Amino acid sequence: MDVLPIIVAAIPVTLGVTAASFAIGAVLGLALVAGRRSRWTVVRGLSRSVVEVLRGIPPIVLLFIIFFGIGSGALRMEPFQAAVIGLGLVSAAHLSEVYRGSLLAVPKGQFEAADALGLSRSTTSARVIAPQAFRVAMPGMVTWAISLLKDSALVSTIGVAEIMSVTNQHARSSGDGLMPFILAAAVYIAIGTPLAIWSRWLEKRFARIRKAA
Amino acid sequence: MNQAESILSLRDVEKTFAGHCAVDGVSLDVARGEVVAVIGPSGSGKSTMLRCINLLEVPDRGTITVDGTDLDTSGTVSARDLTQLRRRVGMVFQSFNLFPHMTVLRNISLPQERVLGRSRDEADRRSMELLERVGLQQKADAYPAKCSGGQQQRVAIARALALDPEIMLFDEPTSALDPELGLEVLAVMRQLADTGMTMIVVTHEIHFAATVADRLIVMADGRILEQGPPQQVLDDPQHARTRTFLSAIKDR
Repeated sequence: MDVLPIIVAAIPVTLGVTAASFAIGAVLGLALVAGRRSRWTVVRGLSRSVVEVLRGIPPIVLLFIIFFGIGSGALRMEPFQAAVIGLGLVSAAHLSEVYRGSLLAVPKGQFEAADALGLSRSTTSARVIAPQAFRVAMPGMVTWAISLLKDSALVSTIGVAEIMSVTNQHARSSGDGLMPFILAAAVYIAIGTPLAIWSRWLEKRFARIRKAA
Repeated sequence: MNQAESILSLRDVEKTFAGHCAVDGVSLDVARGEVVAVIGPSGSGKSTMLRCINLLEVPDRGTITVDGTDLDTSGTVSARDLTQLRRRVGMVFQSFNLFPHMTVLRNISLPQERVLGRSRDEADRRSMELLERVGLQQKADAYPAKCSGGQQQRVAIARALALDPEIMLFDEPTSALDPELGLEVLAVMRQLADTGMTMIVVTHEIHFAATVADRLIVMADGRILEQGPPQQVLDDPQHARTRTFLSAIKDR
């Protein structure tokens, strides 16, 4: 059980990788979905290709490309930076799809009413569409955050000292191959469960709003 | 009709959807203060024609003139022209389309602040005035979901009126409502017509068309089949097609 304090000490690193990747993904995802809804065919095609490529590569391959490929050449990178960039890009692609779905859930009449009232494009997006789409996107975003929390274990392979990495080291040096990993699993569940409960609560609340509308 | 007094003109407006001609060269002049009712079977292009007026559908061809300003729709319409046009033309939809995440008051005030640059106080004052006019001042702080369909539609009318339009377009405003709730919306529209508002109303409400409209237009296959004073069109339709349609809606 002496591994537990070591695992707990690594929680901030896991949370840091998860939160930073999520933040990058949330912002870049907006840019990607804006691109996919652009007036210009070229921008639409380009954004779509970026999403397809990022979703098509296994995250671990992307991480290796960034850290060992790009990171060993021109751009020197810390493992943490490479991890956040890699998972951030994967998140951007995934969250852009969540956003896109949520925009499709906003009735066409909302866009038409805003147009007919003469609201500008930016006012329509910010005041009319985004608040409605965000409610739809929330559960999907939280679900992605949970996946990301678990997938952050992947970055142990490029040497980020997060939960999986310190657990693995301890298991190797102590010779106990079972207990450390079971404890690590329990810690992931302990962090992820509140998020899952929150996501289900949001989903229920959204269903209620939709029924009332 | 005298060109000088017409506030809205459509010239040879055409709109095609995937090979289907929804509006097939419609020309129309509407005088200031006139109430025009448009009827016709579904798919006759009446809603599309209405939506062409404020360019929710951009026609493939034709000119739209609002109060002396011409818009040739075959080229690209500039954002400025579009804003100008929509400031003068208000629209009410079949599905109300209130913003569900805003209170009734915010629904009416926000567009005034954003489009006309009114202050929040100014906008709220105007909104309350209009809510009183449609009999819903007590609903100001309610969300649309807490209002009946008829109430939502009256709020939608207030929201459009708050921008001081010169012309109001109504796209089947009572079709999604129970008959009883439809009546309260029609009452508000009747009152609006009495104030001299120019109105174009696509509707199935024959009684409203007969008693409130100055002119009744019958559309079929993307064209205006016939038009005239409502009683004349209803009592003595010139086309067999009109007769069939009228008997279908009158004899139920």
